[in-house]
Amino acid sequence: MEPLENAIEVKELTKSFGSLLAVNHVSFEVKRGEIFGLLGPNGAGKTTTIRMICGMLTPTSGTTVVAGFDVSKKPQEVKRRIGLVPDISNLFGELSARVNLEFVGKLYGLDKKTRRERINQVLDLFQLKERQNDLVKYYSKGMHRRLTIAAALIHQPEILIMDEPTSGLDAQTSRLVREIIVSLNEKEGRTVLLTTHQIDEADRLARRVGIIDRGHLIALNAPEQIKNGVESLHALEVKIRGDSEDPQKWVRIVSKAEGVEKAVLQEGKIRILSKDMSQIIPSVVNLVDKNGGKIENISVSQPTLEDAFINLTGKSIREEPLSKEDEVRRRIMRSGLR
Amino acid sequence: MTVLTSLMHAVWIAENDLRQSFKSVRHIVWSLLFPIFMLFTFSFRYGTSGPDVSFLNFLIPGVVGMTAMFGAITETMSIVWDKSLGVFDRILAAPVSSTAIVVGKTIAGAVMGVISALVLLVIGSVLFGVFFVNIGVVILLIVLASFSFTGIGTIISGLASEPREAMMLSNLLRFPMMFLGGVFFSIDAMPWPLPFVARALPLTYATEALRAVQTWDTFTILVDALVLLAFTVGTILIGSKILMRIMTR
Repeated sequence: MEPLENAIEVKELTKSFGSLLAVNHVSFEVKRGEIFGLLGPNGAGKTTTIRMICGMLTPTSGTTVVAGFDVSKKPQEVKRRIGLVPDISNLFGELSARVNLEFVGKLYGLDKKTRRERINQVLDLFQLKERQNDLVKYYSKGMHRRLTIAAALIHQPEILIMDEPTSGLDAQTSRLVREIIVSLNEKEGRTVLLTTHQIDEADRLARRVGIIDRGHLIALNAPEQIKNGVESLHALEVKIRGDSEDPQKWVRIVSKAEGVEKAVLQEGKIRILSKDMSQIIPSVVNLVDKNGGKIENISVSQPTLEDAFINLTGKSIREEPLSKEDEVRRRIMRSGLR
Repeated sequence: MTVLTSLMHAVWIAENDLRQSFKSVRHIVWSLLFPIFMLFTFSFRYGTSGPDVSFLNFLIPGVVGMTAMFGAITETMSIVWDKSLGVFDRILAAPVSSTAIVVGKTIAGAVMGVISALVLLVIGSVLFGVFFVNIGVVILLIVLASFSFTGIGTIISGLASEPREAMMLSNLLRFPMMFLGGVFFSIDAMPWPLPFVARALPLTYATEALRAVQTWDTFTILVDALVLLAFTVGTILIGSKILMRIMTR
């Protein structure tokens, strides 16, 4: 049989929870052997999409084909070929790492000898061998995450699906996890579909990125190509003193400056996208001055993937707290999932 | 997927569940300590004169039935905990049929009910010298009762969206059932309309049948066993239907 070109094909996938459209006619393919990143803020519909691909959630409409099998018709065949790392590390806390992996190995139909080999292998790979007999509830967050990934590899799946693989991890563990993802892809040729709300992670790991926001897939391309879409734009970052009382106030003010394409608040600074820096810098400085603000810091940078997201959605991916609408979305979807 | 593989999956899921439950404080408290506490409290209801032998003959079969109920229902509540902790997803993501998951959870509930009830049976027999006429029939009745309670537990855990709600719902059912199911008081002594309520509860039939073993009243044993069987089939069918539906809704 010809090897399939696409590991995952998602067509018009839609899921609604009551009146909320969590995932709205999303279509994309993940090619065999690539790392594909699904990028979007919290509550965008990433986890819902993943769960439908893995056959854990029935879609309202649309189809998903994984490794040539239709998920709705052959869920067991699909599940056998997927290793899932969920967003929440979900191992049995009252059991040891080894017993956890044993159980997972049994569910995937591995015989005793294979189980023992594979378990030793992944415990070595993830540096968990010394603590293999400790109860998982005593593990640190990083160890928990490593073990969750280890559990997804026990049946050597051709496709690895990871939901926010590094979310909540310290920098060192994040780096280790990223290195593992790259080596699983490059050395072992496994297809990886990962979701993330961290732009730099998608930029660094994924060969192609799909940007998802409020259930819509709004961009789908290589990170460089997506960045090209904002190539003509420049990013200006301004930190204004006294912007803490109403942070959005200064965003509203600078938005009025001529030539501003988009302006959003991002980690205490205002990020402004514009085509013409020479025109915009003086007018922003002027406006801030006129409204009694003091510019603490100002810098110009090349557009990033994040700027592409800002340009597409008019908001920052890291925007916290979430807008009321996004918060409601997120809550309904979480309760729908659990 | 063959039936045998599915059955193996079910057994592993049950084994994995029970492994955790035996280490869990919640389980030990509800399935063992609480019934033991109730057993001792009620065994001394005659104060200074010490345990009343004939009352003990009445009490211990009741407590054994009640323990099966607490054990089985507490165990099935683990479905809700698993869902809230996300560990249910681990099983859902594996190539395991939904039937195997439901059967596995049912086996776990029933086994927990049987084990807990047997512990209380041994404690009751040894400490208070109450012996059962036909231990084989007693065990069969305990198994049957445990399955019927598991069915009830599955329905609750399918309806509850999170653990606190599940605990509330299960206690809403367990406590009235404990006092109306003829464990501590005979249902004949209850005022109208409580006997009718009692007749709607599987625990009533479990306690009645276990006591009937002592007097070897084969007719009562048989009728009650059939009623328990009907409860088991009904609740397990409804429960698994609900579970199947919520699993991938």
